[in-house]
Amino acid sequence: MTSATETETRVYALTFDGLLDEQDGARLNGCFQCQKCTSGCPVAADADVKPHEIIRLAQLGARRELLTSRFIWECTSCGTCQARCPQGIDLPAAVDALRRLSREGGFVAEPAVAIFNDAFLNSVRQLGRTHELALMAAFKLRTRRFRQDARKLPMMLRKGKFALLPRIVPGRDERLRLFRHIREQRKEAP
Amino acid sequence: MSYLFYPGCSLESTGKEYALSTRAVCEALDLEMPELDDWTCCGSTAAHQTDPLLALALPAKNLVAASGSTIAVACAACYSRLKMANHEIARSADSRSRVAQAIGIDYDGSTPVKHLLEILRDDIGLSAIVDRVAKPLSGLRVAAYYGCLLLRPPSVMRFDDAENPTLLERLMAATDAEPLEWPAKTDCCGASYSITKTETALRLSRGILAMARDAGADCIVTACPLCQLNLDMRQRDIEKKEHERFGLPIFYFTQLLGLALGLPSSDLGLRSLIVDPMPLLARKGLISMEKAVTR
Repeated sequence: MTSATETETRVYALTFDGLLDEQDGARLNGCFQCQKCTSGCPVAADADVKPHEIIRLAQLGARRELLTSRFIWECTSCGTCQARCPQGIDLPAAVDALRRLSREGGFVAEPAVAIFNDAFLNSVRQLGRTHELALMAAFKLRTRRFRQDARKLPMMLRKGKFALLPRIVPGRDERLRLFRHIREQRKEAP
Repeated sequence: MSYLFYPGCSLESTGKEYALSTRAVCEALDLEMPELDDWTCCGSTAAHQTDPLLALALPAKNLVAASGSTIAVACAACYSRLKMANHEIARSADSRSRVAQAIGIDYDGSTPVKHLLEILRDDIGLSAIVDRVAKPLSGLRVAAYYGCLLLRPPSVMRFDDAENPTLLERLMAATDAEPLEWPAKTDCCGASYSITKTETALRLSRGILAMARDAGADCIVTACPLCQLNLDMRQRDIEKKEHERFGLPIFYFTQLLGLALGLPSSDLGLRSLIVDPMPLLARKGLISMEKAVTR
């Protein structure tokens, strides 16, 4: 079963203006500020900009307020807003686009999330899969959070939840090419 | 139908007991599910937060490799990313051609993707599972927890009712366990921020654990390795921080189903769970007392 309004998931909002684009944006223009998104959002209570305000700011073209907001790095991508939106607005896709634009503009309010994502994707690029120990090491080195969860490590190793050595999936050259292609595409985006 | 199993990264590491119990249950039910050769990561949250094309290209590589078969998935995050990629590639000619350029092969978005729960429902059938139960889980009060990724966005996932899913409950009822009515089963546990913004993960997970406890649950059952790890590994942190006690084992549905099918607990990776489930299972007569105390 689905929500009352069929939603189309639009992932190619490549520019800020594209967020409002009827064809490939998140169709934010349909919002009438009912605030159902904010009511169901698990992180709205402490948010600097609430989900319904994200949409209004986008309609107003308030680029800087959006790209510097903490909320876009606090959204858990749980999808509750989209599932309940009477206008079928794809707010999670809009937030993904804002995260990307925020990084490109150097506005990131919460660097840890972007650092983690980079470490994760680097593992995928090199190995084809993630390797938790290497991923955690890379994350801790860059965030200097050495003590975080350090006491869990022996238990996780004992329970066999971390592989000591990574396995490299064949096709590494192809993966490096794929990631390079994606980087070039991003540079060419309008 | 021929299935190729796509385990995903979590099932090789933090969720290895999910892989173990999935394979054991499939074998017991004569469900053939060879692993997709040289599969690579779906990109998970990191990819879609970083680049929309990467979020399509990484799943597409695997969907192409499985062409001709149905991909069987146990991880809710992989399931979500594979289905989202299929949906977008089938919907948009532009996305399809961008993906083709990125991975070097044209893919139309048509490789079917099914979650193991759907396979159990559609191919085995819940009534057939009832017939196969060797050790009913009678008296085990279970809070079935779905989280986000199996259900949302509903128009793409089409897994179950997005606000009140019941498939896990029906499966648990088939094992004679007692699924509970509780209101947090589709809430977000915050697992995507378990490492980066631990406070958020603790706060959201606390709500779910408290709700399960207050509903009278003996345990929680999940179908997502990220939810499982978060609710299991972070449970002690939350108990210490909030000065309260949950003591809720967090099972994969395959582990409970495996027990009900009469599989030995050693085949189900129960020792890999962090909140020790053995005392509960012994109390309910589902494993012997000796097993509960020997390590």
